[in-house]
Amino acid sequence: MTLKETFLQPLFKGNPITVLVLGICSSLAVTVTLKGALVMALSVTVVCGLSNLVLSLLRKGIPNRVRIIVQLVVVAMLVILVDQILKSIEVTFPIDKQLSVYIGLIITNCIVMGRIEAFALGSKPLPSLVDGLANGFGYGMILLIVAFFRELFGSGTLFGLQVMPAGYITNNLVILPPFALILIGCIIWVHRSVDKELQEK
Amino acid sequence: MNTNNNIYTVVYTAIIVVVVAGILAFVASKLGPAQQANAKAETLRQMMSAAGIKSTDEIYATRNADILQLYADNIQEAYTIGLDGEKNGELGITKDNIQLVDRFKPQDRAIKDGGNATLPVYVFKSGKIVIPVYGAGLWGPVWGYVAFEADRYTIAGVYFDHEGETPGLGAKIKDEPWFREKFAGKTVEWGDTPAFRLEKNAEASGAANAVDAITGATMTSKGLNEALNVWFAAYEKHMGNAAFFSMLENHAINAEED
Repeated sequence: MTLKETFLQPLFKGNPITVLVLGICSSLAVTVTLKGALVMALSVTVVCGLSNLVLSLLRKGIPNRVRIIVQLVVVAMLVILVDQILKSIEVTFPIDKQLSVYIGLIITNCIVMGRIEAFALGSKPLPSLVDGLANGFGYGMILLIVAFFRELFGSGTLFGLQVMPAGYITNNLVILPPFALILIGCIIWVHRSVDKELQEK
Repeated sequence: MNTNNNIYTVVYTAIIVVVVAGILAFVASKLGPAQQANAKAETLRQMMSAAGIKSTDEIYATRNADILQLYADNIQEAYTIGLDGEKNGELGITKDNIQLVDRFKPQDRAIKDGGNATLPVYVFKSGKIVIPVYGAGLWGPVWGYVAFEADRYTIAGVYFDHEGETPGLGAKIKDEPWFREKFAGKTVEWGDTPAFRLEKNAEASGAANAVDAITGATMTSKGLNEALNVWFAAYEKHMGNAAFFSMLENHAINAEED
């Protein structure tokens, strides 16, 4: 696979959310506002890219029996670093507070561990980095689409700015997590009707 | 090299763990001051929002450095009290040395189990007095600041926050201005049990110390109600006496006017 294919695969044909159905829990939890979704998407992209890179560099020396534990240590370290950095910047501090445990829970995001196991442990560092970043983008793209609809129709705002006419009554169904599942279902439906290859027989 | 060898495995994991711990310790020590500054500014925002120094939106649009200045300009004095209601410490109020008591968990334990408490009292130049409350919500801690008028029993304003209450339900204690606004003008009946009531249909009773709980957020409301009453009870000795005299004074004035 060329680097370009490695990059494009997770965005569409191998999208972690709509095709692999990984990372669903966090995409329900953090898509109430676009700001939260954007910070979450960037955090996952950084963690996924760097963990792929680091573990690809370490891949020949990792003792096979403690492979998963070594991966967890590296991923956990990166997640804590991201969390600490978000907390120390004035602009991202309130968003980190709003995301609360979900930044920490990136450790358990199946996409991160999934890409390390499936890609980084068997590939050179550069393609691994590209694969990790691309999976983060693929995940973030869906997150932003879902958050766009949820913030617009739920709270009547976009990035915190009022766009719906004054007096718009907030829609609780859209604000609560189950609606994200309905939206993701719709995205999967559209994706599969456009790309016929993804349809199971 | 055989990477499945026992000794290799142990040495390898040990080195990885030490390296990771080193990196984390280094970063935590480098970023610590910036994080504390952010947390302190957040606490000041919540306090000044409760005390009505400026509107909540304005306060949240103000940058950290200006928030410190705003606090220093508006604070009269800040001190801590023990469970006996007596003053047991001073808190710095100049811009470069703003001291806060913002770790509530140990204080909450001291209130419940008895012990050495240092409960903060913030007196603003406007005469308003701000005290914190803290308790358990549905998913994590809930806390907040209650600002009293100079009479020490009329609530001037409140600000509540939480760690992870359900968005759209329990999170309304923070997100919904109408909920906060309901508290303004209510009173706390020092010495009564309960001193304040945040309960279902409480407003229907017409009592001055009652606010309706939030529909759909029963556990969060219950937790906040307990937080208010437990902390009010701890402040009663300090606030209650002064409130009693100012209440007498108000009644006397009213009687004269009649």
